[in-house]
Amino acid sequence: MIHPELLGRLCRARDLLRNWEDEPLSISAVARTSGLTRFHFIRLFKAVFGETPHQYRLQAQIEKAKHLLILTHFSITEICMGVGFSSLGSFSALFSRRVGMPPSEFRRLYGCESAALERQLPSSLIPGCLSLMAGILDKEQFSRRHSPDDADSV
Amino acid sequence: MVENQAAALAFYTDTLGFKKSKDIPVGEFRWLTVVSPEGYPDVELVLEPNANPAAKAFQEAMFKQGIPLAAFEVDNIEAEANRLRIHGVKFTMDPKQLGPVKLAIFSDTCGNLIQMYQQSEKRA
Repeated sequence: MIHPELLGRLCRARDLLRNWEDEPLSISAVARTSGLTRFHFIRLFKAVFGETPHQYRLQAQIEKAKHLLILTHFSITEICMGVGFSSLGSFSALFSRRVGMPPSEFRRLYGCESAALERQLPSSLIPGCLSLMAGILDKEQFSRRHSPDDADSV
Repeated sequence: MVENQAAALAFYTDTLGFKKSKDIPVGEFRWLTVVSPEGYPDVELVLEPNANPAAKAFQEAMFKQGIPLAAFEVDNIEAEANRLRIHGVKFTMDPKQLGPVKLAIFSDTCGNLIQMYQQSEKRA
């Protein structure tokens, strides 16, 4: 059984993985903050959160990159470096694999001036029970939401 | 609310034993539901993506506090807990008698704590 105190430490380790700024990331260092050996930390993290600390870290970087692609005008190279990758090639390959399209395509599809101004993601990327169902009921409106010009419509 | 819908479907069906009900693609996400094979077929559990930043903040806060987001009744909680442990499921509370129910809490690997409970005496 995982003691509540250990659960708290795992949650803090997860925050640390997401927000780690100094590259390269040291999983051992994060493991130490939760008082576990690297091996035990990786196993327990995967059993509780469903993915290894390294996988979680990569996903967090991809999520950060998605936000920056939509909400800022930084170049893809700057965003790649900004979220902690040193190679544009490996960043683009990982992004394509996890998101299903390269960063440039993602920005073309979802990026728009109003999103950047309001610093808010387009509604097509923010699911909610009812809006999901509305998407089914109104296919036409849904496909319009995918065009970059109209991505901020509800 | 789940981090990854495909992984969630695998956990809720293969590990917990739910059956897939609806799986409808909706843009970036899926309207994905499961039902209990022993329960009411019209009561469904939605495996909703947590991509809404508000949803994620709520989910993480509840997890940190050790509070489960859903509870399911089982007939034999000790047997279920043992079965889940064999699958590598981690409990934050082992089966424990609390008043008229015995309950346990585990992590669903998708960012939630889930509670299961067994009533001590089945009402007639």
